Amino acid sequence: MSVYTQGVVALMGVNILMALSVYAIVMADQVSLGNAGFMAIGAYTSAYLSVKFGIPIFPSLIIGALAASFIGILIGIPILRLEGLYFVMGTFGFGEVVRSFFMNFEPTGGAYGFRGPVGATLPMIYGWVLAFMVFFWLLERSRLGRSLDALRDDAEVASSIGLNVTLLKLGVFWLGSFTAGIAGGLYAHYMFYIESGNFHILVSAMAILCVILGGMYTFWGALLGGVIFSILPEVLRFMGGWRLSVYGSVLVLMMIFRPSGIISRHMVRNAGEWVGGIFRKASS
Amino acid sequence: MFLQQLVNGLTLGSTYSLLALGFTLVLGLLNMLNIAHGDVFMFGAFLGLSFAMLGVPLYLALILAMAGAGIVTIIIERLCFRPLRKAHFLMPLLSTIAFGIVLQNVATQIWGSEPVRYPQATEITQFQLGPVLVSSIDIIILATSLVLMLGIDQFVKRTSFGRAMRATSEKPQTASLLGVNINWVIIFTFFVSGALAGVAGVLTALVYLQITPFIGIRQGLIGMVAMVIGGVGNLRGAMIGGLIIGIIEVMNDAYFTAGYRDIILFGLFLAFIVFKPEGLFGTKER
Amino acid sequence: MLEIAHISKHFGGLKALEEITFHVKEKQIYGLIGPNGAGKTTLFNLITGFLPATHGSIQFLGNELTGLKAHKIAKLGIARTFQNIRLFSTMTVKENVLVAQNIRARSGVTSLVRLFSAKEKRFEEEADDLLKRMGLWEKRKEQSLSLAYGEQRRLEIARALALEPRLLLLDEPAAGMNEAETEDLLDRISEIRNMGKTVFLIEHDMNVVMGICDYISVLNFGELIAQGTPDEIQASEAVIEAYLGREEE
Repeated sequence: MSVYTQGVVALMGVNILMALSVYAIVMADQVSLGNAGFMAIGAYTSAYLSVKFGIPIFPSLIIGALAASFIGILIGIPILRLEGLYFVMGTFGFGEVVRSFFMNFEPTGGAYGFRGPVGATLPMIYGWVLAFMVFFWLLERSRLGRSLDALRDDAEVASSIGLNVTLLKLGVFWLGSFTAGIAGGLYAHYMFYIESGNFHILVSAMAILCVILGGMYTFWGALLGGVIFSILPEVLRFMGGWRLSVYGSVLVLMMIFRPSGIISRHMVRNAGEWVGGIFRKASS
Repeated sequence: MFLQQLVNGLTLGSTYSLLALGFTLVLGLLNMLNIAHGDVFMFGAFLGLSFAMLGVPLYLALILAMAGAGIVTIIIERLCFRPLRKAHFLMPLLSTIAFGIVLQNVATQIWGSEPVRYPQATEITQFQLGPVLVSSIDIIILATSLVLMLGIDQFVKRTSFGRAMRATSEKPQTASLLGVNINWVIIFTFFVSGALAGVAGVLTALVYLQITPFIGIRQGLIGMVAMVIGGVGNLRGAMIGGLIIGIIEVMNDAYFTAGYRDIILFGLFLAFIVFKPEGLFGTKER
Repeated sequence: MLEIAHISKHFGGLKALEEITFHVKEKQIYGLIGPNGAGKTTLFNLITGFLPATHGSIQFLGNELTGLKAHKIAKLGIARTFQNIRLFSTMTVKENVLVAQNIRARSGVTSLVRLFSAKEKRFEEEADDLLKRMGLWEKRKEQSLSLAYGEQRRLEIARALALEPRLLLLDEPAAGMNEAETEDLLDRISEIRNMGKTVFLIEHDMNVVMGICDYISVLNFGELIAQGTPDEIQASEAVIEAYLGREEE
């Protein structure tokens, strides 16, 4: 694999994690436009710990993600009680505050960025991707996952059957910010250099678009969206600079004709039954 | 010195007011954000640029940019809002995110991603009004913004179409039963919203003198901040909110550190969203 | 077991409910009737925590319900159905019932690893039982909205029962049903009482109300105008007036 291709694949892993971070929050019927902020917290925290304190990459990733998710809880408590649109605005306000904070924060380099973290390899990145995918796979099948489905379906009725809607929303927000924090840490340790411009609101927007494209009702959608979004620029090279327009237009059209995205929960269910059927046949 | 900064703040602020007005018109009507609004602003700026480079006089370039931006916004309504009326309420917002990306890309393809110099559109003359130095550009900006804002304010308050707009925003079904053509009201509102963004684009470009396809993001966000601070859905609030934000920004750069500018503005935004979401002047009051 | 005391609900100037006081005894089948707009569903919404009361108190098994959030009230043992059926449209029939078990089953983060435990099997069997008793087992894998109207109503009741509530609130369960379906519904409500539960229902269909209720409260314009057994209510002048209007002298 050439160095260039390695880079694309590595960033694809980060993109997939960011898409999963958005999907986590979407599971509770909310959209966060601020996950780049959590990515930044994870990135800078883990980078700082690695470079200034020599902490090995694995613990510094975890601490970075815990820092991000801690802030996630702090910010989540006040904004999760806001109704949908205001919640979205709150999240992007948060994302921008974080970005401009790091632009000025001297200990992590301020506008000059932060240099130094190393250690993220492709196997490591995809190890994390796999771990999160297993987690989401289990989540989707579990009672907790079904509680979230109920919340998304009809939040009022969900609470009438005893589900604590507020706690569920806070929980997925923690999960989403944690995932974004890991994505940020891996990004920092792969790129060797980070600066606040890397955590622009467009990063949050792109993660959302991955989920929309891939499918909003199953984690496989985030996976597919992340893959497509990362590979598309390479594949569509012949379209030159117009690739983003094509991508955006496809999305706008998709919202009109297939708003739930490419992969629907139905497909996953059917695929699961098909695979199950094959196993049963093979073992009989 | 202070008065000078105040004037600068008002000038910058009035462009934010126009943006905030555009946001609030759509939000007040359909309860949804048009995230591509900032990119329409950018597009308007570039349209004005292109016309000016063709030798068109400033005022005409302004009008053409307004029209162009208005048309783009109508396209946004047609693609991102109308077909998604029955869908989950956040869908239009997500669709406009995608559309914004398309606008940015198109602008980059047509005009390049490097900063482009805005041609000197008119003779810049400076006037000394007491302790304050005001340029003719400032006057153009302030005057245009004021005229437009007053015009919209009076239009919504006094004309029958304005009443139709208010009725549609409060109770679309009732309005429709009373004979209001909802679709036309919506199309018109979107056009006005876009036109305001277009004007704001050209005027802002006249201040900063160079533009890139990426200015829309930040300016759009600041317009949203102004809208929230003034009061979502509140036209007068949007106008005053814009001025306040402009003054804060200029004062911050003058007396504090420019680097903290965004933290302060977005921090204020976040504070209002959490603690005072109805803004300074209340929501949906026209 | 359910004490409604001086409950009032005002929406600005509108008095939706005013000084409502009555109580529901355990294992009763209690009826709430009244013309449209009398405030019946509003009262249900207050009991289940969907709306806050303006004045008054609601006590359930010694617990004060006013001020509690809806999910806490459900956990105390009150389940409800809705006037315009609100099933989980993205789920199958069986899933609608399974999700209602979540407050009794382990449904936190640990549920991710408990997918195949013995307890889970038991809960599944419970759900199957419930579906069979409601005559919905054959359609358990169908999308909930693909069911016929009467079946959807039965599913909503099944979902409410899956919570194993002490008190079941039914909001117009017989709406849109024909005679055969209504007969079936009455049998089921009896069965539910035999299971040891208390049923509190809002209804318009007098056959249902008079046929099965032990005791009835009558609301009109947000006020309690009569309480009593079905016979007493049928003879009550106030009730006749409310439904038919005053006789012209």
